[in-house]
Amino acid sequence: MADNDKNDAEGTPKSMDRRQFITGVGGAGAGLILGGFLVKGFFLPDEVFAIPASEGYLLVDTKKCGGCTSCMLACSMTHYGRSSLSLSRIQVLNNPLAEYPNDMSQAQCRQCPYPACVDACPTGANHADPETGVRMVDEAKCIGCERCVNACPFTPSRMQWNHEEKHAQKCDLCASTPFWNEEGGAAGVQACVEICPMKAIEFSAEIPVQADKGYQVNLRAHDGWATLGFPVDDAGIAAPDKPAAAGGH
Amino acid sequence: MATDGFAGRIIKVDLTTRKVEVIDTDPYKEWGGGRGIGTALFWEMCEDKTVSGLDPKNVVTITPGRFNGTPVASGARTEVQAIGPQVYPTEMFTSSNFGGRWGGMLKLAGYDSIAISGKADSPVWIDIQDDQIQIRDASEVGDAIWGLDTYDTQNRVWDLLGANEDWRAGDRRDSGRTTQRSAILTIGPAGENLCYDACLVHDGGAGAGQSGFGAVWGSKNLKAISVIGTGSIEIADPAALWDTRAWLRKEYMFDVQNVTPAGPAVTTDTMAGRPGTGQCVVGVGRPEACMGCHRSCHGKRVVGGIGNGSQCGDSWYLPYEKMLTKAKSETLEVSGRAAELVQRLGINAYSTACFTRYLNELNKLGLVGKGNVVDTDLFEVGPLGSYAWAEALCERLAYRKEVGELLALGPARMGEKLGRYEEDTKSGILLIQSHGYMHHYDGRTEAEYGLSSMLGARDLNDHTFNYVTFWLPTLFYLYKMESPIPAGKLAEIIGSKVLPYKDPMMVDYSDEGMYSESMVKLVSWHRHYSQFYKASLGLCDKAFASFIAVQREDLAGPTPEVEPRLMKSVMGEEVTFEQGMERGERIDNFERAILILQGRDRDQEVYSQYMYEVPESLVGDQRYPSVLPVFENGEWSYKNVTGRTVDRDKLEQWKSLYYEFKGWDPKTGWPTRATLEKLDLGFVADALESAKKIGGTA
Repeated sequence: MADNDKNDAEGTPKSMDRRQFITGVGGAGAGLILGGFLVKGFFLPDEVFAIPASEGYLLVDTKKCGGCTSCMLACSMTHYGRSSLSLSRIQVLNNPLAEYPNDMSQAQCRQCPYPACVDACPTGANHADPETGVRMVDEAKCIGCERCVNACPFTPSRMQWNHEEKHAQKCDLCASTPFWNEEGGAAGVQACVEICPMKAIEFSAEIPVQADKGYQVNLRAHDGWATLGFPVDDAGIAAPDKPAAAGGH
Repeated sequence: MATDGFAGRIIKVDLTTRKVEVIDTDPYKEWGGGRGIGTALFWEMCEDKTVSGLDPKNVVTITPGRFNGTPVASGARTEVQAIGPQVYPTEMFTSSNFGGRWGGMLKLAGYDSIAISGKADSPVWIDIQDDQIQIRDASEVGDAIWGLDTYDTQNRVWDLLGANEDWRAGDRRDSGRTTQRSAILTIGPAGENLCYDACLVHDGGAGAGQSGFGAVWGSKNLKAISVIGTGSIEIADPAALWDTRAWLRKEYMFDVQNVTPAGPAVTTDTMAGRPGTGQCVVGVGRPEACMGCHRSCHGKRVVGGIGNGSQCGDSWYLPYEKMLTKAKSETLEVSGRAAELVQRLGINAYSTACFTRYLNELNKLGLVGKGNVVDTDLFEVGPLGSYAWAEALCERLAYRKEVGELLALGPARMGEKLGRYEEDTKSGILLIQSHGYMHHYDGRTEAEYGLSSMLGARDLNDHTFNYVTFWLPTLFYLYKMESPIPAGKLAEIIGSKVLPYKDPMMVDYSDEGMYSESMVKLVSWHRHYSQFYKASLGLCDKAFASFIAVQREDLAGPTPEVEPRLMKSVMGEEVTFEQGMERGERIDNFERAILILQGRDRDQEVYSQYMYEVPESLVGDQRYPSVLPVFENGEWSYKNVTGRTVDRDKLEQWKSLYYEFKGWDPKTGWPTRATLEKLDLGFVADALESAKKIGGTA
């Protein structure tokens, strides 16, 4: 259940039109590029470079998540005052009957360097915040065309249609959380990061290097996880050979 | 949209007519949620409360606790209630609860409960997707899930509903999309074949295990209920709920990055209990949590997902595997697969443990074999402790093959069928403590657990005090380590938290204490707390009540401060802790009235004979010493009280004290009209009076 791109990012930008390129690098391609050679100076028409990089990213260790969906409920609650899975901007996809580690994945917005969702928006509702670069939606400007939802290169789309309030929505790193006393946003804290009991979600000011299958993040390489008897290796395949704890229930 | 934590609607399904009715939750809100609402629905809908659990007139309710679907930590329990076939000798109104995602999903679909009556004329399942509720054909010519095990059923339903890794639910721009698999509660072959100990299973290891509700569903030709909810639940004060969880996280929960090696207290430390520690089977790759829970006490397996989510009693075969192999720990190949067996077949793991023990004891007596008292070749399939033996037992039970016809009756009725019930519950080889349920925690020593079970209609399986008064001192005793909290301090802290009684002597488990007035208060407190805070609001037994926090300097947990904070933030109600306890007392009396209409009286509230005659001993399959706090000779200590029996006369005197304390007639155990009216249960008093079962003056 790894993160999937709708579009194969292989090939060179020269072989694509602008739309195809943005869509492609919005996903895995962007990470490969940023991790390698194309951070600066690449020429594109139509002021693509006017979009600043986001000052924050969410990293999720897919092998550490316990599937509680607290992040989802908290996301919805802090943004809307309502608890919901469908209104959450981060999605945890869980097959309860599947074999670890391919039983679960997390779908969080990648704050793409070249955001297809922003590019697709005909009204400017979907935009990069001028101060923090965080890609977000001005709900008042959203006309509900869902082009951003379809443009997101990831599956499931990180752009969502809020069916209750009738506008597009996406992760804003908690910049707009009226039902919360904390200071959110790229310079603040994020509800999903804060509430995750497994600490499987982390905030990063730097975009991580990512491969075709998405970010490869290991947040388990610490004594606590090993003490609990769970795999700490990158692949998450080292089977613990003993119960996590003794005792009765 | 309601702003009080309710979704606002209740589903009623009549399977006989295949009619679905959606009603307002409003008239039921006074019951709080969960068990309170389920009891009220059963009261109204089950016209003849004396029928068998498998009668079409039985009504089964599945009601999420009020906190389901919200970020309340450890608030995801859902109650199932009906007349349970497992209750013995008379099938009575009882309950079982489960966690996972189902209750939250039902709330997010817009419903606070589903009540099911009647019987379908062919196998069906119920498909709930927000406002769309369909009764679908489960048979071979329909969706073909009847006959499948619980895992295959869920996989098949997910396929039918088009589960993938994308947003879906059709073209539902205005009604909501989801990335989530539907939450499915289902029976396995054991339920279809009306085994009295069949259970309901959800996901890998969440299940309503006890009471035989799998057979109730099977008798109604109901295979599964699948729910997808894309809606939302209004939180009265979201910022306050966040702050409450943040406070718990900072002050009471574990820090997963900085856990210390697991000490004896790890599983008994309610709020701070660590992820994965509820499981017993090896090979866990990641912890697994119920919706919104920090505790993550289940686990996902590395190899083949064997028995994902299984834990605790699901490792029913562990003692026998260890006995056969002399290994120190269990293996995935035997105990792990045996756990998956009961999940897939939909069998109550704890009853399976009871069967295994009983068959083993009868075999030792030379009563098992082809043509023998127990006519079976089970012990020729493989040695007890081998996977082959476990597989043969479970398959025969679930499909009523060979000895399975006998086992399908449940352990108590199996003993009766063999003509051995009296003899074997006197000697204790048939280990049934009360009401047909397997001996769990021991009323001879851990008095409140046994008494609370005896006064209800099932094995309590509620660890409110068990974790801290039994497991904590017992584990430190077994590890030969000093308890991090002296007995006097334990009693002082608990005594300060058990409002409104505030009596530290309530946790005196000495020979005198177990029959004391303080024990009356302990049992009352336990029942009232569980009826409301756990069973009706959905707080999980793994984390609540939280009296003790051994990692803190003051050693004290967040009860009774946390419960009112949660109620205020989710429900918007200023409810004091004591008022919540009064609501629990009201539900306790309501539930008791149903038992009384079904024939319950004082004489039925007794233990099996072995409890009076056979000293508790360490002989058996999963026995531990019982080390409990006692107040003797003017001081507190932890004492190994193993070896006790129950004094029948003292127990009967204690029952009189308890009934009087509760405002019930000590001669019958029936509530008086005054008591019921004080609890605003005048209509219940009317019903009891009509049945000539109202208590006399207390």
